[in-house]
Amino acid sequence: MEEIELFRQFRETGDLALRNEIVEKYLFIASVLAKKFVGRGVEYDDLYQVAVLALMKGIDRFDERKGVKFSTFITPTITGEIKNYFRDRSRLVHLPRKVAELRGRVKRESDRIAAETGKAPTPRELSALLGVTEEEIVRCMEAGRVVSLDRPVDGEDGATFYDLIAAEGDPFESFETRDAVKTALSGLSARERELIRYRYGEQLSQTETAKRMNVSQMFVSRLERKVLARLKEELKGGMA
Amino acid sequence: MREYLKMEAATSGEIMTTLRLATGGVCSLAGLGLDAGEDCKVCLTESLLLLSHAGYGRACIAFFEDGGLFVRITAEGTCGEAAPVPEDDISAALLEALAVGVQMEKREGRLFGVSFRFATDGRN
Repeated sequence: MEEIELFRQFRETGDLALRNEIVEKYLFIASVLAKKFVGRGVEYDDLYQVAVLALMKGIDRFDERKGVKFSTFITPTITGEIKNYFRDRSRLVHLPRKVAELRGRVKRESDRIAAETGKAPTPRELSALLGVTEEEIVRCMEAGRVVSLDRPVDGEDGATFYDLIAAEGDPFESFETRDAVKTALSGLSARERELIRYRYGEQLSQTETAKRMNVSQMFVSRLERKVLARLKEELKGGMA
Repeated sequence: MREYLKMEAATSGEIMTTLRLATGGVCSLAGLGLDAGEDCKVCLTESLLLLSHAGYGRACIAFFEDGGLFVRITAEGTCGEAAPVPEDDISAALLEALAVGVQMEKREGRLFGVSFRFATDGRN
């Protein structure tokens, strides 16, 4: 049956058998479009499911009298649903885990092949072996150079890289006046000031600071975090 | 318009990964978000597919700064036998869905170039 006739009959009768026929006829569009978005951290099967649901919704809404081809009408509808799905789901949950998993597989296979053949495999070889695209291989290798800011720093008692990153410009230099810092420091106990002096004046590590203060590194880490949080609060208040 | 990058390549699949990676780099340079960057890669792939089906084996791909990112893909060299497929309609509709200002340039009734743009504020 012709496209227009099929949709006309379905619109007039609401016959579910016709609807199923239309869905089957156009399932390939859902498949084609789902494939276009593979490699962004969501499995093809999930994308295909989203695309098929969008296809079914689109079939109910399509009006053949408007003179638009169904493929032209349904492509932006499915694309929109897939993009919404990415927005809602993929970024936060799937991407980092998937990239990390793939990276692990890439490393294992690379090591194995290198041990067997004496040379590192190409992305193309890895892509064939692991059943993912070359682009995913290259991207995951690039991603390996990125360090998560939430990753704990070894030997820093739970502190993350984010905690250790300097703000734009040195935060202590960017204070409006040294007086603000002085005032804030004056509110600290002698032990707390000692810690700040070792860590930020003499630039000692937490372990070295702990030795000087005759306490554990863990104690230094906790105290430092507490003191910095308090200083930040006081300085924020003082400069507001 | 300031030119970010201009390159000529085959429209065949084997160079696609390289072109997509280069596109990702330019998108980043142009200040596009991650989603827009990925969408731009899809648009590039679809444009090259369309040109390939129109019979062109090579294309020139140029990226320009125009407040956002303007991309122009034009056929290069001689034109072979056109081999359109039913999915070409979907490719064209996908371009329209993802990018703005999509233009299909035709010569003697045959597709010759595709251009589109992406806004840096994500309003595509």
